[in-house]
Amino acid sequence: MTSSQSFRRFAFAYGMAFAVLYVVALKLDLALFTVYPSLGVVLLGTHHSRDVVAPALAFLAPAMYWYGWAATAALGALMFALIAAVVPERWTRRLWQGWLWVAPVAAMAACVYLTMPWFRY
Amino acid sequence: MATALLIGHGLVAVALLGALTHQTLATWAPAHARPGSFFGRFRAVPSAAFANAIVVLYAISAILGAVVYPYFRVDVRPALEQAGHWQALGLFDIKEHFAAIGLALLPAYWLCWRQPRADEPARARTALTSILAFIVWWSFLIGHVTNNIKGFGL
Repeated sequence: MTSSQSFRRFAFAYGMAFAVLYVVALKLDLALFTVYPSLGVVLLGTHHSRDVVAPALAFLAPAMYWYGWAATAALGALMFALIAAVVPERWTRRLWQGWLWVAPVAAMAACVYLTMPWFRY
Repeated sequence: MATALLIGHGLVAVALLGALTHQTLATWAPAHARPGSFFGRFRAVPSAAFANAIVVLYAISAILGAVVYPYFRVDVRPALEQAGHWQALGLFDIKEHFAAIGLALLPAYWLCWRQPRADEPARARTALTSILAFIVWWSFLIGHVTNNIKGFGL
């Protein structure tokens, strides 16, 4: 019963924390790693092309950050969820359960806002 | 290889779409619907039974999407950029963000359906199901449109 309640707190905290941290990672461009699929290279951290002489290189070797943002959020959410799982239940009981769905909805709205530059071209 | 993966991704998405839409409609439909009516028959199906399938299908779809994504980034996106389909690319980016958030909600969603607690409001379960349904519908439609842009001749 206790482990079941701990897992419940873990799962709920993970969902909420991931949504919030994903937006933070997206806004601050905090990718745990950067993937260059055409080269088959994965670099730790966020890397942007600094080549101003031949910017076409970024076109030839495109970078992917989505995996890194998701990994950053997953790692951060895991920490929050583990803490939520081990703290006494009375500490989390007063937390409004609506955050479980309000946080992801707000995060989705924030993601749309952060993607708006695509629509200004 | 990429085409086979994309077709698999699409087929899993169709199954997921059906299961999640069924569950969402059953959740929102009035409990007092007439037994012989459309919603009455919907509600006759135990919605909780869909939860396992939805979690598995969502996870498989997300994995397949993550595997296919590099092909999109290398082969498809540059062509769309050159053609000036910025709005489509923006909508696709939103799809990726939504899909990641939805994936993280699966454990909570599963618990709300498979191990509900009497002291928890049913609203959380309804909300999580609706959020996932929205994400899956958005992802399916945007993925489909992005895939078909050249076919549409836009």
